[in-house]
Amino acid sequence: MTLRNQTLTPSFQRPPSQVVIRRVGSYQAEIASLMFESLAPFGLQVKGKSILLKPNLVGLDPEGFINTHPTVIAAARECFLRMGASQVLVGDGPALDRDTEAILESVKLREHLGPLRNVFVDLNLDDVERVTFPTRASRLRELFLPKTCMGVDFVVSMAKLKTHHWAGVTLSMKNMFGIVPGACYGWPKNVLHWAGIDRAILDINAAARPDFAIVDGIVGMEGNGPTQGQPKASGVLVFGNDPVAVDATCCRVMGLRPEGVKYLSQAGTMLGHVQVDKIQQLGETIESTRSSFAVLPAFQSLK
Amino acid sequence: MESELENSEVARICLPFLRDTQNPDGGWGFRPGTASRVEATCWALLALWEPSEQSSEDRVRVHRARDFLQTTQLSDGSWPAAPGEETGCWVTSLCCLALNAIGDQTQKSAIESGSRWICDDWPSDSTPWRRFLARLASHNDVAPMNTSYRGWGWTPGTSSWVEPTSFALLALERPESPEIARKAKERRSLATSLLFDRVCPGGGWNAGNPVVYGAAGEPGVVPTVWSLLALRNVAARAEIIQSLDWLQRTAANVQSPGSLALAQICLRTYGQSQPGMAPLSDVLKRSEFLDNTLVAAWAVLACGSDFWLGKSGARKVAA
Repeated sequence: MTLRNQTLTPSFQRPPSQVVIRRVGSYQAEIASLMFESLAPFGLQVKGKSILLKPNLVGLDPEGFINTHPTVIAAARECFLRMGASQVLVGDGPALDRDTEAILESVKLREHLGPLRNVFVDLNLDDVERVTFPTRASRLRELFLPKTCMGVDFVVSMAKLKTHHWAGVTLSMKNMFGIVPGACYGWPKNVLHWAGIDRAILDINAAARPDFAIVDGIVGMEGNGPTQGQPKASGVLVFGNDPVAVDATCCRVMGLRPEGVKYLSQAGTMLGHVQVDKIQQLGETIESTRSSFAVLPAFQSLK
Repeated sequence: MESELENSEVARICLPFLRDTQNPDGGWGFRPGTASRVEATCWALLALWEPSEQSSEDRVRVHRARDFLQTTQLSDGSWPAAPGEETGCWVTSLCCLALNAIGDQTQKSAIESGSRWICDDWPSDSTPWRRFLARLASHNDVAPMNTSYRGWGWTPGTSSWVEPTSFALLALERPESPEIARKAKERRSLATSLLFDRVCPGGGWNAGNPVVYGAAGEPGVVPTVWSLLALRNVAARAEIIQSLDWLQRTAANVQSPGSLALAQICLRTYGQSQPGMAPLSDVLKRSEFLDNTLVAAWAVLACGSDFWLGKSGARKVAA
């Protein structure tokens, strides 16, 4: 059963979450086979299921450090198909540029995935349904969200390891802002800013409930993210069955305190685990992969 | 001759797509088989009303589209972005623009109530109270901009952004009612100033943040096109010339059909040459345009007469 159909469980009643950190030197590596190995410990039951991979496609990115890299997206698609998924779609609703196809062209997604017509879903333009938020963290109460995202059996948030000029960090939870349809709420989805970015992140994640998270930190971004920062080669991929735990782990890998990120500390009470002792860490250790990400002055307290 | 061939090739790709994908309710979805949406319907309607391409069957399709727009208008005069939404938003400007462009007298009151709604829809970021708070805030240099200018937001109660402001400027160009004309004049003046305030340092526009934390914003083709079209009556200003220059240089490398079509419309409107741009028909074929109704409609309009921007050649729809 997809997480979206389950009631929210307070974090203290949840079993520990699993997170895997893998070291990956470059996008030329054998990412699909490495990813397939990394997914094994999770025992994901995806056979016969429809899956949506939700990468972070923010803007034109010919140099490849703003968006989730197409090699990583293609590898994930290959893995889930190999695991028996009936359909693996890729979908996003870019926040700043309404020409999604221009973004796909700039990242050369077609070269990695083949024809996109039946694979890629522009979530900005998808059919929508009214979704009431179970958390009521913001004043939004409800939004119209894409039917594709709410209708598939399994959602994978595929973020980029980045700092963010308003939220501190943008990882698998903030990545879910991309499901909010631009055709209803605009470019950018300003209604989320007015509702409070941190609170809106909680509401959207509580409603969409991504089942799994993969973060592309092979080359991330530090400083004035999500689009104007500097590339940061961290050489990691992070996987997990709890987006909150994945994001908390990513913060630690970035040399940042997850408890200081407002939405993460609140998510730690109801959507997943932030505390180290509630996260079963597999693969590489945080210490061995840590690299200090530069942040804007407003977020120095995260250090 | 070459451009005529190119235009007919674009029409050959896009018009059958548009004709075949109208929903039974008269509207279009963003993709075939999806629910009718106001935005997609406005653009498809304009593409099928293009004088150089129109057939009698298209006239019927346009009438059905017009009826769809009529039934989806909310009681306050606005239009919602999606079925089931009870609040109107930025697509109201597109509806007024599209219904105006087909010159349908039966739609006069719908256009008037839509235009009135647009005039009364003020953004919330620039209220006196907000501006007072902004002056007190420690981070008011994050994205410096003149908050005395006011445009339009994507949704009510939010901030001004470049694209919805441009659409509203286009929609309010020729209001018939004196009351709306008076309101529109004030709004247009503030909004025009806002667009000039939001030009990126090297020309062109992005969503509406020309500088963030001291870093110059990257302009984008789509917001630049809408801004330039909305400001085409003040074309002599340096910001326009610089932005046109940016668009001309950028368009030569555009590989997506939507941006390419819009760049073509804009440069033609300004009488600018389009050096080095890829043929739209090639890009449409290569990219499959992802079955996107908007892209197909913009492509048809890119090869057309600009009637929807008030150019001569506009026809009037029969009641």
